[in-house]
Amino acid sequence: MKFKTRELVTLAVFGALWGLDEISVGALLKSLNVPFSGMFLAAIGLLILMIGRIFVPHKGSSVFIGAIATILKLFSLGGPVIGPMIGIMGEAIIAEIVLSIAQKPSRLSFILAGAAGVFWPLIQPFITGPLLFGLSLFSVWLDLLDIGNRFLGLDTSAALWIVLALIAIYWIVGGIAGWLAWDIGHILQVRLRRDTIDVTL
Amino acid sequence: MIKQKSTNLPVESQPEQLRLGTISYVAIFLGLIFGVMLAPADRLWMFAIVYLIVAGIVFPISLKRILRLKMLILWIIFIVPPIFFLGEIDRSIWGIGYSSEGALASLQFAIRLLVVLVTVNGFTAAIDIVSVAGMMERFGMQGLGFSLGVALNLLPTLQQSSLNTWHSLRMRGGLRHQRWRGLQLFIITVMTNTLRRAEEIALAAEGRGFSPEHSRPLPMKKGTWDQFVIIGAILSIICAIII
Repeated sequence: MKFKTRELVTLAVFGALWGLDEISVGALLKSLNVPFSGMFLAAIGLLILMIGRIFVPHKGSSVFIGAIATILKLFSLGGPVIGPMIGIMGEAIIAEIVLSIAQKPSRLSFILAGAAGVFWPLIQPFITGPLLFGLSLFSVWLDLLDIGNRFLGLDTSAALWIVLALIAIYWIVGGIAGWLAWDIGHILQVRLRRDTIDVTL
Repeated sequence: MIKQKSTNLPVESQPEQLRLGTISYVAIFLGLIFGVMLAPADRLWMFAIVYLIVAGIVFPISLKRILRLKMLILWIIFIVPPIFFLGEIDRSIWGIGYSSEGALASLQFAIRLLVVLVTVNGFTAAIDIVSVAGMMERFGMQGLGFSLGVALNLLPTLQQSSLNTWHSLRMRGGLRHQRWRGLQLFIITVMTNTLRRAEEIALAAEGRGFSPEHSRPLPMKKGTWDQFVIIGAILSIICAIII
């Protein structure tokens, strides 16, 4: 993982932006207990990460941005940070894997990376819950069904539908993040090349 | 008259040799986290007592931090629900029914959470950002120290710039009708400002002749007990698996 000075600075600013988002917006959403806050934070973070990937299209750049954001989150004030830290790093690694497999950056690879990355907050409790806090998989599963019941209005007995609906929501939001990242990244490239240009969205 | 003694430069005292270096703190952090993760449920309390004693000695301030009201509320939110909702309600106390299975699960959860919170809080307070960056640079992320320095210095500027953009957009009614487009413009403006700033920093760094290939990795604090602590951390994980 070797980058030039200019690339390191670009990665630093995108990492700082993601870190800032996690420190400010993340802390606010978590303290207000906003539903699906993990999904929204992941979508914003991955949007920033993938735009950064357009400017530094090398292997490892996504993990690098994730590492900077994770360290900034580690040293932020507030409550327990181990969950968000694992979340940030997990999302960055998943996005890195998808974007590296795709080799050439394309809209499709960005959509897939976004969908896969945003999907991580849904499965993270199944890994960190039992490993870190000794929660049983069953209680994590019950929490998931409870979310489906409260926010999607589905009965807890319709477990399959709840899971499918949640997967669809997470994938769609992630896909939108990927789509937007591709568009915004290219608009930015044009904008930074020529200062006076009509940007049509 | 100038006294002879005052003309002599004071002898610089030797910097105190640290007992625990960065690598020690990382080893303790990983040892405690993995230890509590891998400890069997029936002997968890035993491991937790040992881990909390170690954490209390190494990170004395973190136990105090954990006892803040915010943390206690967070703890109650996590711990109380399983007592009533996990498993069948088979016992009662003062007329309130609860599940013994849920109570046991809650107790285990509380113990693990306590060790994790004390360790994470203590770890973040004990080490500095430079040491973490230096360590990660040694593990293959070359240039991370430089990037992290840039990121840290940029945080307040980025925050102010994002807030200014948000307020300008809101005051001009940018979020009233075409909200989606307004949000896209917000992101584009923030990103453009960010990248322009990056350009300036890159030019300044290149102007000073900075090159990631030729720069030294950031320093890492070394302690006299580092090797023993690493061995201890490995042993603690092995014990959690075997016992």
